[in-house]
Amino acid sequence: MFVTGRIFAAGMLVAIWIIVLAAMELAKKNLPIFRKLAGLDAIPEMVGRAAETGKPVHFTTGLGELNTNVASQLVAGLSVLAYVSEMCANLGVKIIYSVYQSQVMPIATELMKSAYTSAGRLEDFDPEDQIRFLSDSQFAYASAVQGIAEREHPAANIMIGPFYAESMLFAETFYRIGSIQLAGTARGYQIPFFAVVCDYLLIAEEIYAAGAYLSKDPVLAGSIRGQDIGKFIAMILMIVGLILTALGNPAITNLLKM
Amino acid sequence: MSMIFRRTIPIVIVFVTSLLLLLAFFVTIPGIDLKATETMLLNWGVILSAFCLGFGAVNLFIFQGRHILRRTKGQWPFSIWMLIVIVVFTVVGVLTGSSSTEYTWLYNSSYFALSATVYSSLGFYMTSGIYRALRAKNIESGLLLIVGIIALARNAPAVAAAFPPIIPWEAWISAVPTTSAQRGIMIGASLGAIALGIRTMIGRETGFLGKLTEAEKGG
Repeated sequence: MFVTGRIFAAGMLVAIWIIVLAAMELAKKNLPIFRKLAGLDAIPEMVGRAAETGKPVHFTTGLGELNTNVASQLVAGLSVLAYVSEMCANLGVKIIYSVYQSQVMPIATELMKSAYTSAGRLEDFDPEDQIRFLSDSQFAYASAVQGIAEREHPAANIMIGPFYAESMLFAETFYRIGSIQLAGTARGYQIPFFAVVCDYLLIAEEIYAAGAYLSKDPVLAGSIRGQDIGKFIAMILMIVGLILTALGNPAITNLLKM
Repeated sequence: MSMIFRRTIPIVIVFVTSLLLLLAFFVTIPGIDLKATETMLLNWGVILSAFCLGFGAVNLFIFQGRHILRRTKGQWPFSIWMLIVIVVFTVVGVLTGSSSTEYTWLYNSSYFALSATVYSSLGFYMTSGIYRALRAKNIESGLLLIVGIIALARNAPAVAAAFPPIIPWEAWISAVPTTSAQRGIMIGASLGAIALGIRTMIGRETGFLGKLTEAEKGG
């Protein structure tokens, strides 16, 4: 019934699922405390600076598509886009969303429209100007984003999603024009580039927690606690595996291969 | 009604498709071809993406067209050029096929060369970024400076040849602290993605669906 080699993974997935759901239920009674995420806390400051200077806020979710294995990073980026759009709408700041994946455009249009509607500023929303499909080719998209930076000088640049070689091109260009930058990705190879150039950074799992963190919803916060329990289980498995393997016992290795 | 269209139906679709894809990955059920279902769902995704590409092209024409009509300073000549290029590529692609000699020549002579140029410029951006990063302002940046110098020196053939002990130093840094940190990040990210997936599947994480208005909540 189960595909060989995936039994343990399936079991762990079900276990984490149960733990996350239980943690969400428990959170209704006992609100978990979040570690401060400086990058997300800085968003009001970034949008505020844009309002003061009369310049736009630039947002992009990087490469990757909704039917690939980086889709979760894209969804995490869109959750932050919804939050930033509403904040921009409230303060009368123009937000420019640079799009690589045309399939995201209808979602982004709906999402930003509802953010502007919620802020009571629907008349300020101009989808053709604010949601810009640039290209579905990596370096054409990268050049176009650099062009937006050079021509429109956004006061803030927010990049959350899957990024590849273009990460450094973006970070350096926006640094040069003086934008405050928040970057977040779960792609390990790009994290160091963002870390050395950007003002704020969300590392890997932090981007997935962004939606829950910004919504202040206790139930969503509970799922982060469940995720932390999963991390604890992973650590125990690693330590036990390390000891057993050093003693010549392949039990954990065999378990992982099931 | 809006609530049903904007929330309930998308969440149900997300739940059902996610569940089917998970099942196709983990289990085989005799008599049911889950792989075929998975392929079909992924193909639907490709078709929807292709449709959205048309949406993107329309957006490009509207956006660039506005610049041309308004004669936006420093922009409108580029907008004209962009629209010309889109039309030329489309016409050549449709008339001769995307693997024809004409289309390949057009692609290699323009986009390929430009893309390689942009990619090459990355080296300069990295240099300026690393120039600012490699400054010993505190203990962490001091460590980064030391590790950065070892990695840079190891990858400079003359230095590695003149001072061979640097080769195992760099190999150890790459294999032990860097790899373990990367794996830690990977495990955390995977668990984060699972939690996000669960929240999305059960309809709790709806940030990507946008906010409901009061009228829609009531509707």
